[in-house]
Amino acid sequence: MKTLKISLVISLLSALYLTPAVLFAEDNVTAEEIVIKSRLTFYYAGDDMRAKVLMELINKDGKKRVRELTMLRKDYEEGGDQKYFMYFHKPADVRDTTFMVYKYHDRDDDRWLFIPAINLVKRIAANDKYSSFVGSDFTYEDISGRKPEEDTHTLSRKDKLNGKNCFVIESIPKETSEYTKRISWIDEANFLPLKEEFYDKQDELYRQFEAQEVKDMDGILTITKRIMKNVKTGHRTEAAFQEVEYNLGVEDNVFSERYLRRPPLQWIR
Amino acid sequence: MLSKLTEIVTRFPKTTIVVVLIATIFFAIQFPKIKIDTDPENMLEQRQPDRVFYNNVKKEFGIRDLLVVGIVDEDGIFNSDTLKRIAKVTDDILKIKGVIIEDVVSLGTSDNVTSEEGALTVKRFMEKIPQAPQEIEQLKKELFGNPFFVDKIVSRDGKATSIYIPIEKKDQSYRISKEIERILKKELTPEQKYYLAGLPVAEDTFGHEMFVQMGITAPLAGFFIMILLFLIFRRGMFIVPPMMDAMLAVCWAMGLLIGLGFTVHIMSSMIPIFLMPIALLDDIHILSDFFDRYPSIKDRRKTIIATMKDLYRPMFFTSITSAVGFGSLALADIPPVRIFGLFVAFGIMAAWLFSHTIVPAIIMLMSEEKLTAFLERRHNKRSFLDGALKGLGNFAFAKSKIILLGAVIVLAIGIIGVKQIHINDNPVKWFKPKHKIRIADSAMNKFFGGTYMAYLVAEGDEEDAIKRPEVMSYIDKLQNHLETLKIVGKTSSIADIVKRINYVLHDENKSFDSVPGKQDEIGQYLFLFSMTGDPNDLDNFIDYGSQKANIWVQMKGGENIQMRKVEESTYAFTETNPPPRGITIKWSGLTYINKVWQNLMVFGMLKAILGSFFVVFLLMILAFRSIKLGVISMLPLSFAIISSYGLVGFLGKDYDMPIAVCSSLSLGMAIDFAIHFLQRFKAGYKKYNDIEATNIYMFQEPAKAITRNAIVITFGFLPLLASTLTPYITVGTFFATLMMFSFLTTLVLFPAIMRLWGKALFAKEA
Repeated sequence: MKTLKISLVISLLSALYLTPAVLFAEDNVTAEEIVIKSRLTFYYAGDDMRAKVLMELINKDGKKRVRELTMLRKDYEEGGDQKYFMYFHKPADVRDTTFMVYKYHDRDDDRWLFIPAINLVKRIAANDKYSSFVGSDFTYEDISGRKPEEDTHTLSRKDKLNGKNCFVIESIPKETSEYTKRISWIDEANFLPLKEEFYDKQDELYRQFEAQEVKDMDGILTITKRIMKNVKTGHRTEAAFQEVEYNLGVEDNVFSERYLRRPPLQWIR
Repeated sequence: MLSKLTEIVTRFPKTTIVVVLIATIFFAIQFPKIKIDTDPENMLEQRQPDRVFYNNVKKEFGIRDLLVVGIVDEDGIFNSDTLKRIAKVTDDILKIKGVIIEDVVSLGTSDNVTSEEGALTVKRFMEKIPQAPQEIEQLKKELFGNPFFVDKIVSRDGKATSIYIPIEKKDQSYRISKEIERILKKELTPEQKYYLAGLPVAEDTFGHEMFVQMGITAPLAGFFIMILLFLIFRRGMFIVPPMMDAMLAVCWAMGLLIGLGFTVHIMSSMIPIFLMPIALLDDIHILSDFFDRYPSIKDRRKTIIATMKDLYRPMFFTSITSAVGFGSLALADIPPVRIFGLFVAFGIMAAWLFSHTIVPAIIMLMSEEKLTAFLERRHNKRSFLDGALKGLGNFAFAKSKIILLGAVIVLAIGIIGVKQIHINDNPVKWFKPKHKIRIADSAMNKFFGGTYMAYLVAEGDEEDAIKRPEVMSYIDKLQNHLETLKIVGKTSSIADIVKRINYVLHDENKSFDSVPGKQDEIGQYLFLFSMTGDPNDLDNFIDYGSQKANIWVQMKGGENIQMRKVEESTYAFTETNPPPRGITIKWSGLTYINKVWQNLMVFGMLKAILGSFFVVFLLMILAFRSIKLGVISMLPLSFAIISSYGLVGFLGKDYDMPIAVCSSLSLGMAIDFAIHFLQRFKAGYKKYNDIEATNIYMFQEPAKAITRNAIVITFGFLPLLASTLTPYITVGTFFATLMMFSFLTTLVLFPAIMRLWGKALFAKEA
C-alpha cells in the first residue's frame, strides 16, 4: 500500500517536472543557459558603455523626484568582474556626488561614495539585494545584475509578449532573499529581458519590471526605457538611458578615488 | 384632537395594533443593513480642519494603521534561543497577507547604520541569529548604540522587544491580529509574555464589545425593566403595553437610523438602552391612573378616555421636553453625538405616539372580568409605599423652611463640587482596567517609548525648506524640549537620521552627532541614506518635496490633559524660540485629535445644555401659562443636575464624553417629575382649594405614579453596570444618581415651596 502511494507520488512529480524539459527539448537550451545568456546581453553589452540616465521616482500621488546621472561601465571578464562609475547631475543639492562600484564574480562588491559637501570619499557596505538604488524602486542588483547561480531556474513555458516570442523563466532563490519567486519574460530573438515579476513572502506580486523601449545603439540592442513599479505601494521609477555609447575605450584609471573627487570631464560632460 | 385619537383607537383596537405593527415592519427590515463604526476620527466632522490636516499628514507621510506586538521575557531577550524565537515570529508575521512587508520595524527586519573599519555599513540587526556570547554582546552594543531604536524595538532593560506591523487596510486588522496571536502562541515559551496593541486592535475589540452590549446588555435591561414593572403592577398582562411601547420605540429609532444610512457608533449603540426606560414612563402614568379609576367607572373604554384626558398635557410636555433635551445634542459639533441625540428624540416621540395608540388598544383587549376582579382587590390594599409617601409628604410640608435652607446649603456644596470638575478623557480607558487591551497598553508603555502617537508637523513655504540647517536644528531642539517632558517617551524625526549619518560618516565621532551646518551637506546625507534602504524609508518623516517634516511624538499616556500639557509646553517653547523663517509648526496625530474633539465636546455640550434649558423653560411657561410656575418647575432639575455634577467633582471623576453627553439630556429627563407634580397639584388645588389638602392628595396616587417612574428609570439603567465598556457604566451610574436626586428634590422641595408660596402661585386656580 505504502509503496503504491510513494510510486504514485513519484510518477506525479516526475510528470510535473519533466513536462517542460520534454516540451522544449528541441530548442536544446536549458533555463540556466537562457538566464546566463540574457545576463550577458543585458549587463555585459560591449566592452564598456557610457550613458546618461534620467530617472523619475514617482509616488502614488504622482509626485516626482528626479535623478540624473552619467554612468560609465567597463567589463573585465564576460559575466565576471566589472567596474561602474556614476556622476550625479541632479538633484541640485547632490551635484558632483560620485559613486563607484567594483563588481567581483566571487565576492561582495566594493562601493565608494564621494560626498562633495564634506569632501569625503567613503566606502559603503550595504546589502545590494534589497538596498534601493539612489532611492528608486530599482535595487543595486537590478542595476548591475544578479549571479545566475543564486537561483534555481525553470523554463515554465513560452509566451508572446507584445508580439515577441519569449521564454518564460521561473527563478527561485536558493537562499532566503527579498523575493521568493521571479518570473522573467526573455525575448527569444535577442535574449533581452522584457518583463520581470517579483513575488514576496506572501506569494504576492510586489515589483514589476518592464522594458518599454529597445533601440539599436552602435549595433547593440539596448533597453533605453525601463520601468520598475512597486505594485503594492504604487511607487514607480521610470528610467531613460540616453546617449548610450559602447566600446569607447574608457581607461582603467577612471575608476579610482582620484577621479571620484575630480570627475573625468571628458566622459561625464 | 388627541381625544379624537383616543376615541378611534379605543373603538378599533385591533386595527390600531395591526397598523402600528405593519409600520414597524418597515423599520425592522432595515436592521440587516447595520454598519458599525469604531473609528475615533469620526468623532469629528469630515471637514473639520484638524481632521483634514491629520488625513493629509497620514497621506503625505505614508502613515499606516499599525499593529504593535510586544514580547517580554523576564530573563531578558538576549540569548540565542529567545532571539531565534523572535526571528521566527517576525518571519511568520511577514508571511501574513495584508502586512506591509517592507515597512515592518523589528529586530529582524530593521537596518542599522554604523561605521565599520572605515566603511559606512548598513545591515540588518539580525542578519543571522547570534550564537556565541560575543556575537550576542555585539548585537546588544549595536542596538543600544543607536538611539533611534532604543525604547522602540528594544526596551532599555533588555527584557522586551516589539514588532511594529503596518497593515494595508484597517478592516483586515481582526484577521491579521488573530493570525499574529496564533504565531505568538506557537513560537514562544509559556513563560514569555506577549501583548498585542495598536489602534486597529482596540477599535476591533471595541466594535465587538459594542455588539455584545447591544445584544446582551440592552435585552438584559429590558428584562430587568419587565421585572420592575411586574413588581409594581403585580400582573403579567400589565407588562405588555409598556414593553410593547418600549420595544417598538427602539425598533423605530434604530430602524430609521440604520435605514437612513447612518453608522452605529459607540453613542448610537446606547440608543436602545436609553430609550427603553424613557419610552415607558408615560405608560406607567396611564396604567397607574387607569387602575385608580377603573374600580369606580367599571368600563375599559370610559376609564381610558377619562385617564387619557388628564394626561394629554403632562405626557405631551414630558415627552417634548425629553425630546428637546436629547435633540439639543444636535447643537454639538460631534457627529455621533448629534445622531444619538436626534434619534433618541425621535424614539421618544415615537414612544409618545405609542402611548396614545398601542397602549390604550392593548388595554382595550383585556377582559373586563379579570380587570374588575384584580383591580378591586388591589384598590382595597394599602401598601408600604402608600404609608411612606404619606409620611414624606407631611414631613416635607411641615418642615418647609428647614428643607429650603438645607436645599440652599446642598446647592452651595454642589457648586463647589462643580468647580472641581476636571475635563479629561482617554478612549483607551473606555475599556475596564482588567481588560486585555488596558493590560497590553500599560505593559507596552512601561517597556517602550509610549503607545500614544502625536505628530508635530513643521511646514516650510518652499521646496527643500526642511533641508535648511537652521530648520533641521530647530527640529532637533524642539525634540530635545519635548523629551524633557515626563509624559513624552520618545521622539523621532528626519533630524535624527541626518545626525546619525553625520556621526557614522565621521567614524562615530561624538562631536559629529549633530545637525550639519550646510544645506548641501544635509541634502547629500539624505541622498546617501536613500542609497542604503527602501525608497520609502524616509517617507514617514519628510514629504516628497522636502517641504514638510513630521516629528513622531510617542507619549506614555493618552489623556487629553496630558496632550494639552505637551501642546502648551510646545507653544511656550515656540514663543521663546520662534521657528526659522517661513516655518510653521502644527500638531496632529490621534492623541491630538482626541483632545480636539474632547474640547469641541465640552463647549458643544455647554451650548446644548444652555439651549435645552432655555427651550424647556419656555415650554414650561407655555405648559403652566405662568412665568413664576415656569421658574419653579425648573428648580428641582437644576438642583439635581448641580448636585450630580458636584458629586462628580468631589469624587474626582473625569468629565469625559459619557458624562458630557449626560448633561444635556438629564435636563429633559429630570423635568418630567416636576411637570407631573405641578400639573397634578394645579388640578388638585382647583378641586380642594387648600394647599395642605392638595398636598395630602398629591402624596397619594400622583406621588405613587412618580415614584413608580423613578424606580423604573433609576433601576432600569442599572444593568449598564454589568457592561464591559466604561462609558456604559458611567452613563448608567450617573443617570441612576441623577434620577434619584431629581425624584427626591421633586417630592421634598415642592411641598416645601408649595406651603410657602403655593397660594400665590395658584391664585388663578382658586
